[in-house]
Amino acid sequence: MASGNGYSGKILKVDLTTGKFETIPTEKYKSWGGGHGMGSAIFFDLCTDKTIKGTDPRNVVTIMTSPLSGTLAPSVAGRCEVQGIGIQGYPIGWFTRSNFGGRFSTQLKFAGWDGIVLMGKSPRKVWLNIVNGDVKLQDATDLWGLNTRETQEEIWASVEPSKKDNDWVNLGQSRDSGRTTQRPAVLTTGPNAERFGPMAALVHDAGNGAGQGGFGGVFASKNLKAISVLGSGGVAIADPKALMAARIWSKDYSFAGHHDNPVEYIGLQTFGSTPGRPLSTIQDSPEGTKSRPQGCVGCIRACRGRTDTGKGNESSCVDFYWYDSHDVKANGQITDATPRAADAIQLAGVNAYVVESSTLWIEQLYHQGILGKGKEIDSNLPFDVFGSGEWAEAFINCIITQTDIGKELCKGVAQAAHAWGRFEKDTKSGILPLQEWGYAQHYDARTEVEWGYGSLMGERDINEHDFNWHVYWTPTIAGLFGVEPAVSAKRLSEIIAKKMIPYNDPMAINYSDEGIYSESMAKTVAWHRHYTRFFKQSMLFCDWAWADFVNHYGPEQEGMTSIGEPKFMNAVTGGDMTFAEGMEVGRRIWNLDRAIWILQGRHRDMEKFTEYSYTTGAQPGMTTYEAPYTMPVFENNEWSYKSVAGRILDRQKVEDWKTLFFKVEGWDVKSGWPTRETLEKLDLANVADALEKAGKLGASA
Amino acid sequence: MVDNNTNPAEPEVSADQKGLSRRQFLIGFGGLGVGLALGGIFGGAFLLSDEVIAIQASGGWLLVDTKKCSGCTSCMMACSLAHHGETNMSLSRIQITQDPFGKFPDDISIAQCRQCPYPSCVEACPTGAMHVDKVTGVRTVDVAKCIGCERCVNACPFTPSRALWNFEEKHSQKCDLCKDSPFWDEDGGPDGKRACEEVCSMGAIKFTRELPVQSEDGYETDLRTGTAWDTLGFGGSPKSGGALG
Repeated sequence: MASGNGYSGKILKVDLTTGKFETIPTEKYKSWGGGHGMGSAIFFDLCTDKTIKGTDPRNVVTIMTSPLSGTLAPSVAGRCEVQGIGIQGYPIGWFTRSNFGGRFSTQLKFAGWDGIVLMGKSPRKVWLNIVNGDVKLQDATDLWGLNTRETQEEIWASVEPSKKDNDWVNLGQSRDSGRTTQRPAVLTTGPNAERFGPMAALVHDAGNGAGQGGFGGVFASKNLKAISVLGSGGVAIADPKALMAARIWSKDYSFAGHHDNPVEYIGLQTFGSTPGRPLSTIQDSPEGTKSRPQGCVGCIRACRGRTDTGKGNESSCVDFYWYDSHDVKANGQITDATPRAADAIQLAGVNAYVVESSTLWIEQLYHQGILGKGKEIDSNLPFDVFGSGEWAEAFINCIITQTDIGKELCKGVAQAAHAWGRFEKDTKSGILPLQEWGYAQHYDARTEVEWGYGSLMGERDINEHDFNWHVYWTPTIAGLFGVEPAVSAKRLSEIIAKKMIPYNDPMAINYSDEGIYSESMAKTVAWHRHYTRFFKQSMLFCDWAWADFVNHYGPEQEGMTSIGEPKFMNAVTGGDMTFAEGMEVGRRIWNLDRAIWILQGRHRDMEKFTEYSYTTGAQPGMTTYEAPYTMPVFENNEWSYKSVAGRILDRQKVEDWKTLFFKVEGWDVKSGWPTRETLEKLDLANVADALEKAGKLGASA
Repeated sequence: MVDNNTNPAEPEVSADQKGLSRRQFLIGFGGLGVGLALGGIFGGAFLLSDEVIAIQASGGWLLVDTKKCSGCTSCMMACSLAHHGETNMSLSRIQITQDPFGKFPDDISIAQCRQCPYPSCVEACPTGAMHVDKVTGVRTVDVAKCIGCERCVNACPFTPSRALWNFEEKHSQKCDLCKDSPFWDEDGGPDGKRACEEVCSMGAIKFTRELPVQSEDGYETDLRTGTAWDTLGFGGSPKSGGALG
């Protein structure tokens, strides 16, 4: 029986330098909830010099679960949060985060651990083997050059040498030491990941990846190849009956409760339908493929798939579709090239977002006659078959073997652009769309500002779809099909305002040319930072199911958000936290993160979008989403959906917006640094002390 | 042990006498032989003409459609939650195993208790702990009588064994169709609800009172044909692949 209400009660601290293990009582960090909050607090305490690089042995990496991990909370249980100083960001790696799904966090909880803290650097290549309370560092010399699948299969066989078929395996010598039918959950780097660190992801099973941040490279820099975990324990639930009731309540809001009459969708409108129906992005791709929707532990959405060819298994969204547009352009339809490309990145452990943006950029350079055989940037990649699986695999291979253009790309995209003398020119024109901190443009800061502002005020492409489904995807796709969105812009503004406790601003989603610089948008971005920091990255509600703002099954099309999150949390923990209280914990976490970035060197003067954002409207084919960017706007006293594609940002107005944002957050508007007053209200006096000592405490107004 | 009013004695089985091993008997007949013909019609044990003692059929069975399963293992967590108050896959009476690199549909296996018409787990139990509930026909464990010999675990002809050892509470256990699920505010059993079925977001688990056709691979179950699944575009749905894809 697990020892706590949702929590396992202990965190594993691994000193890779000495090979020693310690236990941190979870209770010490419980006020942070779990996941990211705990990770930030642990990092703040244990990483004594925050100015180091991500590859420094003193970097502290945390891999954290939440009290909801391994429980029936829908689309929560399988997520896992990774943090530490990254090596992908530019010009500073920043203290950053990534998040992955699957089974790892669940197995970690079942093994009796709330998280793992990695310190130091091993003197030899190792992998970490956790079976319940038995923890070992094992030699990884023979695993080091293997791809992610090979590594996992080797570790599975090593941990469960007696396993046959799907039979039970005894975990230990005693019959009462625990049994399982499950495979170990392994989180691993690709082959020799230290050599392409900024591009290197952590991969688990076939398609779960912590891609952003370069944590594959950070692992490798610590001489750590992989972590395997297998548990036979459980998660004790404070109120099992309430949790069962809550889970069944959630069926009314999802496909689970509407098998006989699921919501009809238009094209890719499933993107805007959290959590409306199983969304395997690889279903029927290429045509004729048979597949199943496949979900992480406890998921009600199942956004990935497994196919009858085994290709593309578990890859979702950009993992599967980083190459599809090139495939379609070359072949007229999605072919075998797309799943081959997906598998190439998963097996190599390469970050899909970096590869997607790099490919678009490289294609531009090739067509301009700058890159290619004998060109200014010499490359023997087979551009005559660009769009084929062969090209995709050759491209990924050149990165992980540091050959051809991979000699420079392995150091990071911005670094490669500098090495080739392209950085200033291509970030100004926008063909190299590194919009914030060296991360590739995902959703466009020029149009969907909550995404861009959030990334700029933070440290990476936020990759949080809470608003995005409803303010961009749904109206845009509906427009492309010539139909009205099921929810009007006015009704959307009402639903979202109702759920955005504590701000409840009716102008929160006004994406008009005026609205994007308003105080309302400052509150929207603040709410988003606080919501995601606590509910999604600490309690680990999945980004592809939460926040549930608009739900076509819900009463008056309102989703579970603001009711659902505390319902599940309190059933598991036995607490009585309100949604508003959770938002305050999120604000506290966000302020702590901000303080860490400031100790790393952050100042408001650095917080500027890359040049093209102010000078060039989006052009189709150059970045990612240049279809008509239809969004809700409030103009002439009226709500409507309108395409804002092609918009550029006004430099001064962005600066003015930052001032509004800093005021909302209670930070010094001149520096963007938190004040003592703000930090002490959040019970972060120690953080204020640290900033003051560094001469970086914000001045009170 | 058979728990009924007329013949409380442990059933004697003549399959071995006819030159069949216990395992051959169970798998060969599966649900099809005894259960389909007689299950649900007669209560209690009865003597067939070939002198095989049959026993009271279960009040129902769990059907699973592996092609619909998303592998989320919510059913496993719900099972342990409803029975034990914790989410613990090792205590779940339904087991999902999967190979993330496997090919659909062979990447997932669902191991649910089949409430066998002739339950070898019941037959193997020396104390009557593993028994057939006289009201529901469910094959289940009276933990007070369990001595922990694990004969029921080893007797189950299927892999993984559907009878499992509860290493926390030190007794064997198996699916009781949620007849005894103290941590759930619903009545379980054949006349109630089953936790695994209730939480499955894909509708891949369904209770039935009619014993399905089965083979060594499991029930031949199709919960997709004629449902909205056809419209979801997974290719594995009947529309594009036939009942078994």
